[in-house]
Amino acid sequence: MIDFSMYGQKEPEVYAYKCPDCGTLYYPAPMICKKCGARRDPSGVIFSSWEQVPLGGKCKLLAWTRVYALPEGFDVKYLLFGIVEFENGLRASGRLLVDNPHTGMELEAKIGVVKEKVGEDIYGFMFDIR
Amino acid sequence: MMRKITIVGIGHTVFGNLSDFDLVDIMSFASANALDDADIRKERKIIEQVFVSNMGGGMINHQAGIASSLVSRIDLEPAMAELVENGPASGSSALKCAFMAIASGMVDVVMVTGGELMRTVTGWKGTDFVASLLHPEVEYNYGLTLPAFAGMFTRMYMERYGLTERELAMVAVKDHENGARNPYAHVRIPCTLEAIHDGENAHVVNNYIAEPLRLYGMCPVSDGAATLILCALDSPKMKYFKKKEPILISGIGAATDTHCIHNRKDPLELKAVRLSAERAYEMAGLKPMDISFAELHDAFVILELVISEEVGFFERGKAKEAVESGATRIDGNLPINTSGGLKSKGHPLGATGVSQVFELVKQLRGEAEEGRQVKDPKHGMAVNFGGFGNNVVTTICSKE
Ligand SMILES: [Zn+2]
Repeated sequence: MIDFSMYGQKEPEVYAYKCPDCGTLYYPAPMICKKCGARRDPSGVIFSSWEQVPLGGKCKLLAWTRVYALPEGFDVKYLLFGIVEFENGLRASGRLLVDNPHTGMELEAKIGVVKEKVGEDIYGFMFDIR
Repeated sequence: MMRKITIVGIGHTVFGNLSDFDLVDIMSFASANALDDADIRKERKIIEQVFVSNMGGGMINHQAGIASSLVSRIDLEPAMAELVENGPASGSSALKCAFMAIASGMVDVVMVTGGELMRTVTGWKGTDFVASLLHPEVEYNYGLTLPAFAGMFTRMYMERYGLTERELAMVAVKDHENGARNPYAHVRIPCTLEAIHDGENAHVVNNYIAEPLRLYGMCPVSDGAATLILCALDSPKMKYFKKKEPILISGIGAATDTHCIHNRKDPLELKAVRLSAERAYEMAGLKPMDISFAELHDAFVILELVISEEVGFFERGKAKEAVESGATRIDGNLPINTSGGLKSKGHPLGATGVSQVFELVKQLRGEAEEGRQVKDPKHGMAVNFGGFGNNVVTTICSKE
């Protein structure tokens, strides 16, 4: 999902994957296209690689919650989460930075650190006011 | 023609905090209870196969090879034994494996034991363990949990169908009413609408966990185990099971749905619930209106409502009317969660599906405790919900 390997790229990104045969976009990447059955080969050796399309920007809030009982590794009183729909129709779950959200509101999907682990930061979607 | 398969013995531990015991201990206890219920403690070696259901033995209890350990502890060697893991629906999946093993003709007598022991770790760790069911990259990493998805699901349902927090609280009150009369239940305390919704301090007691879901909208974290013993009706071994009335497994079905919840076209549709029920109805030759009572997987009270709609008991968005009218109470025309449900009885993940069917058998035998026996039931249904609806098993039991 996060690819720092591309030379010169500093900003972490989250990608959708495009089926080379029928053009359908996916998040996260499947191993077989739901629509046409084309195979994805992460190594790109046997089958052609799928194009990575950066996912983010303008989106709409479909559902949200504020959670007070968080799992191990999250040492705060509460966090907000949401499911959004992007303009290309793809959906994603992620962290919500708006403290008093309402369903249907317009948001901006940014990429930020969603989990801090020893020696490794995990990046993902942060949905914020546009 | 498929073999007719019956349940000839049942066992259960109390659900609650059993952290003084080890996982295989509590499984052994339920298993031994079932041997006694079936009256085959001396003839126990007629059991040819054991399926064990459990989700966290490896992660929480640091134990592997649980099925082999159980067989040895209750002296069932050389029976065949395997572990079945399907998250919170592991129990019904193990029952389904037992059903398929007998239906295939390979064996005649099978024991299914489900158990979970998770009160040995902190709530913080336990929540993380259950969340490991989610997609590791696009869900789990964010700190998302099953309650978080249940909260979002509840809000979507409220906004679309006008369900209120008070109506949700009424489901919990009804479940606790039944659970208070179930000696195996974790929380055997009745609760009132006054205490958890209407009263002045209600929202202090019944605080938010994952808005709009409150404490009384969710099941407790429980330990426990349950056991079923199955035998083919056409088997000569049925002669050992004369003490109790055999209860028929008339239908069993399962289905899966997308792992990522955001990838469901309508996230309020629980397709795997609907499909698993359709498959079970078809095998049983029954329709929703034939079901006398049901155990529905109310890990979150919203699920009792939505599952009851998906299996065809009520129209979409209308389940709350049945709660208002009392139709789903023990004396209503379609009692739901007569055991107290996961809400009051508790939810030891791997045990839950087995425990639901234990309740079906008790009701169909007419052995339920005072005040929670359904009047003259013919067919009972259990829906066991894995993940957030991505792997669901429905079982229908009937009087032979
Ligand atoms: Zn395709």
